[in-house]
Amino acid sequence: MKNDGRIPSAPITVNWTLTFRCNFSCMHCYSRVEKAGELKTAEVKEIMRKVAAYKVPFINFGGGEPLLRRDLFELTEYATSLGFHVSMNTNGYLMDARKAARAKESGFKTIGVSIDSHEPEVHDAFRNTPGSHKRAVRAAKLLVEQGIRLTISSVICRINHLKFEELVNQAAELGAEQISLHNYKCTGFGMTNKDELDLTPEEWMQFYLKALEVKAKETRIRISLDDPITASIHKSTEAAIVKGSTCGKLSLNIRANGDVTPCGFIPVVIGNLLKDDLKDLWDTAPVLDKMRNKKPREKCLTCAHYEDCLGGCTARAFAMTGDFNAPDPHCWVGK
Amino acid sequence: MNNIKRNPDVVWREEEEARDEVVAAMQRGEDASGEGTVLLIVSGMMHQLNILGGEIWKLIDGSKGDGEIVEELHKVFDVDKDVLSEDVRAFLEDLKFRGWVSYEE
Repeated sequence: MKNDGRIPSAPITVNWTLTFRCNFSCMHCYSRVEKAGELKTAEVKEIMRKVAAYKVPFINFGGGEPLLRRDLFELTEYATSLGFHVSMNTNGYLMDARKAARAKESGFKTIGVSIDSHEPEVHDAFRNTPGSHKRAVRAAKLLVEQGIRLTISSVICRINHLKFEELVNQAAELGAEQISLHNYKCTGFGMTNKDELDLTPEEWMQFYLKALEVKAKETRIRISLDDPITASIHKSTEAAIVKGSTCGKLSLNIRANGDVTPCGFIPVVIGNLLKDDLKDLWDTAPVLDKMRNKKPREKCLTCAHYEDCLGGCTARAFAMTGDFNAPDPHCWVGK
Repeated sequence: MNNIKRNPDVVWREEEEARDEVVAAMQRGEDASGEGTVLLIVSGMMHQLNILGGEIWKLIDGSKGDGEIVEELHKVFDVDKDVLSEDVRAFLEDLKFRGWVSYEE
């Protein structure tokens, strides 16, 4: 199996914010401050056809809360008919038995449900919605009953970084195939509440050391960490296809109005798929070129790990400094 | 020989631009065997196959066994058939070990 760092001919995954509307107002949310028009059903389908032309295999619906789109299952059926493997991320609150059955019928392969703490009161406070933990657990069970692959998504921050093993246990008991322990992003409310929720670089290092240890021993469920800064403490047995952030290298983000950004956490619009061609944007957008050819700055200039992590998460660096090339603010290596 | 088929959970895409470049390089007599031409995505992990692996992968359509795959490849790859056969069988064994293909009963 060969890994050479070449950028694929088109994205592997398109993350698609179908709507910025949401029934929650979570403390870390990147999108609650966003305001953008929403595509009509026919426009979403038009863009799907354009994306399908370049054999993008995966579409992942997000939001906002995708279940608030009344045409969600119609869109999923259409995407499936075009050959996409469709997944979504939901807070689970609106999932019921009928919707779970529709989700299966429409073609969803995988659904991610957000659970940020195994303790209901902690999750509910973080999500600003009483009863949200109970509903998320119910959603997870309904999806597993339908035979849909379940992923639990957890945003690691101050409320859970010392108790993530309990989250892993809960996810395994729910029948999830994977738990994604997402790193905290300082975008939207995530920036507003950064001081309260984000960890220090030292705390991030301690978290990842422990998480990698747990991941190596875990047999019931896959643990996804997916943070390029772990390159300094961990060498994967399977080399990554690309190094550093995968945004703009393996994936792109479509916003609710069809605008394209490199990543949901980098609000830099490179085009709009109602008028632009996906392949043209993928091959020629200067922003993507910058993200794919980062240059070390400051402490990265002398860091032995730079060639593996490429400065870490580009979204975090950009959010904090406005510079894609700045060192990842979570990085614990050097000063 | 039993037919061999892909695991439907393995998502894949041929990288046509990369393949064209590899074919052109081979025609110039250059070694491009290290370049990926087919992407596989398995359980969230991505892998690349080089030109020989990629061509084998595309031939695993459930209608052929090992021998037929070797025959098809021998039409396009100008190599000793015994060596090709050995390479193909070793590659298929690896794919089977990984659970990415299976032999029909």
